Amino acid sequence: MSEPFEPKIVAFVCTYCTYAGADLAGTSRLKYPPNVRIVRLPCTGRISPMFILKAFQKGADGVLVSGCHPGDCHFDHGNYHARRRWTAFNALLQFTGVPEERVKFSWISAAEGIKFAELIESITEEIRTAGPFEQYHKLIAETGSAASV
Amino acid sequence: MAKIGVFVCHCGENIAAKVDCTKLVAAMESHPGVAIAHEYKYFCSEPGQESIKKAVTGHGLTGVIVAACSPRMHEATFRTACAEAGLNPYLCEIANIREQCSWVHSDGEQATRKAIEITRSLVEKVKRNNELQPIEVPVTRRALVIGGGIAGIQAALDIANAGGDVVLVEREASLGGHMAQLSETFPTLDCSQCIMTPRMVEAARHPKIRLLTYSEIEKVEGFIGNFNVTVRQKARYVDMNLCTGCGECIIKCPAKKISGEFDCGLANRTAIYTPFAQAVPNKPVIDSGHCIYFKNGKCKACQRVVCPTGAINFDMEDELVELEIGAIVVATGFQVQNTALYGEYGYGRYPDVLTGLQFERLASASGPTGGKIQRPSDGKEPETIVFIQCAGSRDPSKGIPYCSKICCMYTAKHAMLYHHKNHEGNSRIFYMDIRAAGKGYDEFTRRAIEEDGAGYVRGRVSKLWQENGKLMVRGADTLLGRPVEVAADMVVLATAMVPQSDSKELGKTLGIGYDEYGFFNEAHLKLRPVETATAGIFLAGACQSPKDIPDSVAQASACASKVLALFSREKLEREPVIAQNNEATCSGCWGCVLACPYNAIEKKDLTDRAGNLIRRVASVNAGLCQGCGTCVTFCRSNSIDLAGFTEKQIFAEVMGL
Amino acid sequence: MSIQEQYRSRAKELLREGTVKMVIGYGAGTTPLRRRPIFITSPDDADRLVLDAACRTNLAGYLLREGLLADQKSVAVFLTPDGVRTINILAAESQLATEQVIVLGFQIDGENARQLEGTRVADFSGIIAERKKKRKEQPSHEVARKLEQMTSVERFAFWEGEFSRCIKCYACRAACPMCWCRRCVVDNNQPQWVNTSSHTLGNLEWNLVRAFHLAGRCVECGNCSEACPVNIPLHLLNRRMTEEVLTAFDYYPGADEHQEPVLASFRKDDPETFIL
Repeated sequence: MSEPFEPKIVAFVCTYCTYAGADLAGTSRLKYPPNVRIVRLPCTGRISPMFILKAFQKGADGVLVSGCHPGDCHFDHGNYHARRRWTAFNALLQFTGVPEERVKFSWISAAEGIKFAELIESITEEIRTAGPFEQYHKLIAETGSAASV
Repeated sequence: MAKIGVFVCHCGENIAAKVDCTKLVAAMESHPGVAIAHEYKYFCSEPGQESIKKAVTGHGLTGVIVAACSPRMHEATFRTACAEAGLNPYLCEIANIREQCSWVHSDGEQATRKAIEITRSLVEKVKRNNELQPIEVPVTRRALVIGGGIAGIQAALDIANAGGDVVLVEREASLGGHMAQLSETFPTLDCSQCIMTPRMVEAARHPKIRLLTYSEIEKVEGFIGNFNVTVRQKARYVDMNLCTGCGECIIKCPAKKISGEFDCGLANRTAIYTPFAQAVPNKPVIDSGHCIYFKNGKCKACQRVVCPTGAINFDMEDELVELEIGAIVVATGFQVQNTALYGEYGYGRYPDVLTGLQFERLASASGPTGGKIQRPSDGKEPETIVFIQCAGSRDPSKGIPYCSKICCMYTAKHAMLYHHKNHEGNSRIFYMDIRAAGKGYDEFTRRAIEEDGAGYVRGRVSKLWQENGKLMVRGADTLLGRPVEVAADMVVLATAMVPQSDSKELGKTLGIGYDEYGFFNEAHLKLRPVETATAGIFLAGACQSPKDIPDSVAQASACASKVLALFSREKLEREPVIAQNNEATCSGCWGCVLACPYNAIEKKDLTDRAGNLIRRVASVNAGLCQGCGTCVTFCRSNSIDLAGFTEKQIFAEVMGL
Repeated sequence: MSIQEQYRSRAKELLREGTVKMVIGYGAGTTPLRRRPIFITSPDDADRLVLDAACRTNLAGYLLREGLLADQKSVAVFLTPDGVRTINILAAESQLATEQVIVLGFQIDGENARQLEGTRVADFSGIIAERKKKRKEQPSHEVARKLEQMTSVERFAFWEGEFSRCIKCYACRAACPMCWCRRCVVDNNQPQWVNTSSHTLGNLEWNLVRAFHLAGRCVECGNCSEACPVNIPLHLLNRRMTEEVLTAFDYYPGADEHQEPVLASFRKDDPETFIL
């Protein structure tokens, strides 16, 4: 009897805004699905497109990248650089056929606990509907290393 | 061989109610590289911390994971505990299984599974953590204060009184700034110069303050605690050591028709001059642009005929002064907006349309009219004065959407001063709002209205023209809902407060940011209002944003406290989460230099033993880097890396999920 | 005089007068339609130079050969406007100094090679500005348009098919003038961000990362696709990146030698329609 598909979601977030927002969701006891794994970086400026590729290699069905709103970056303008990077990499991923619903970018501030919870909820549901990222999982299986799904 | 200790905290019921901590401990115990895994009710408590420390020493742990609340809560706590047990604090990481797990998920089994994955991935990260030592940077205990207005003077005095050395640099020939030009100050109607000049003298005489007037900042290099500043002392053509300040040269100077800056053009000055009578230092300078000798080689009356001490020296040159500085306070103030913005208000066309600062000079007892409010055109006392607030501010179409903060208050003050001097006078103040938020401010504006009879009209002025010797002002009275026309004898415009015209150049020289108007950027508007993004450089007064005297003084003292905190230690200790470059693989493309928000990356020459340049590579200034990692993500060759969040650490963390 | 003759005598002159120490140009290849790069250091060898419509490779990358420009002497290179853009980008990235580059400019129009006036990169700024305008108006490649119309699953399947043939020979990297890193990201194994095996996964990663590293740096010279021994349409990825940075940031790489890298600069009003 196979279990219903539960997507694996990895979120790369900045410490001062989105991570703090996620903490706020916690202190407010909001509830969201347990599918997401959060990786903390000091700033969205530190979030490399490589991380996204490795998350997929580990069997992630969806990736979220999130940080401070433009103008509010704790490190002045790391997120402006991130934004340009995301624009280019997002276009490249979509052109390559990575479905748009599997890679999401957002600005979530330290005060937006509700936004964080709601976004995780909607992303998880969207990917649950889209199903596992089978095309990628097949490529992973081909290399002989099992993805932890 | 890794020996990681995993400590799973119950946090009372906060974690334990949802996450099966025993299962988590068991899962960790069997994870490669984990030496021990324990659980406890409250690891942040004293017994909890003690048990971690015992485990560190008892098992010779090479790394610690505390699976508990958010690292934003207790990372510092547990890192300190590890340090006390002899383990480098940066070998300790926190797995967030409370705020981001037990508190947000309903299903215990899934929460437990998530907690296991989170903890596991952080174990993989910490295995790649490096020991990091706090970075020590020496500190020169000398502050540079740029700007000798009230903010600069306050900061200089506070630092000097605490024993710090200060160099106070002022562009004009005298200290004082704009406050010296004011007549009386709101909300107390204190005489501005009376409260200011003692401060100016104190600053000039203070044994710890070196005063460099008529000087400007030429170059700034270095970083916090270790700045190298070059100051250009402009040639005064008057020897400060010989001059006694007798003022005879000023009286005898034949070049008398120069528009005086201090009086905003309402009076003239001579070529050899002090800006105002109470100038500090009270020694003149020669304005070489208007001096007859400098223009055509004649005269030299001051030197030949007048000066009793031979202090005048036409051969003086600018001097460059090199300074070693530990901290910089920027207090360069503001200037009054060019009123040509509003052609419809006739500034420059009608001599009796003035700026607020010009009105101050009229009202000032030491001003061009001895304190009498009189029309520049014919010297008569005006019977009716129209004051126009927001003449330039709060108007996006004129490029100044912000509020200049002080105008409502000084306009009320102007009206009061006028009524005090002219009991039969009429005033009309056209306003959009009356912003009087400070202590005693609203009472002050009420006083202007109720006691002194200032006439406030809520509406804007659309047109101003001359008719029958009167300035006709047409505006709207929105409370009565009709247009209004006033026949005025004088019009005063509350113009915008803008940064100095060269503030952006100064910002570039210092390496600090500025906004689109030229106001300098603070590090965080609410929580770090006197720091800039550049460590060691602080902001005081109106150069950061429009503000009044109380706030400028408060901000200046705040800067002083930051500077003194910096000076309180021999060495500056900084968190070592900074970038480091692998010089072997760096190609010197300088993308990191460009991307860095803190200008913390320098270009370094790699030379061979004979001193020949091999190539240039990026080099991180440990004193400036704030650890954002933007450079790391840019670097295509993975040469620059961020301690604490290295490529290997993050790779392991992601692959450990 | 044909353009080939003109440039041969120009090359001779430059070498004879010592203005340059080397001329990098095209010579005959192994078959009539192939050309190969040649490196002339003596005026007598200038007659080996060939210039016609078959001269398609971007030669700019050869300037980066270790030590070539270390003696501060100049080198002349046959370059199309895209080649000049390459020089601009390399100068902007501090990999060479434009003062050491003499441009022998040409343009291929259909069957013929046409001479372009100018000796220094700055002389071509007008032509490059024209090319930017043209590039903006240029529609996407036919295959790219077909791809855009597919579903993402179909698109992924297409690229999976293409990348399954990649043998990780890195000829694309060798041929590309913008791939000059002392240590390429794929050669870093601490950590190993890009899988080096020639499984499709690693091939996908390699090509995606390379295309990303070239965003805003690629001049679309086509060296990579020409070099690929298994004919993967690499240029489609790079063209997509070029179009993205042009549309999103109005950025055309190589416009001048001081242009800031697109990913190390930003504007406060950069677009962000896709960000939640």
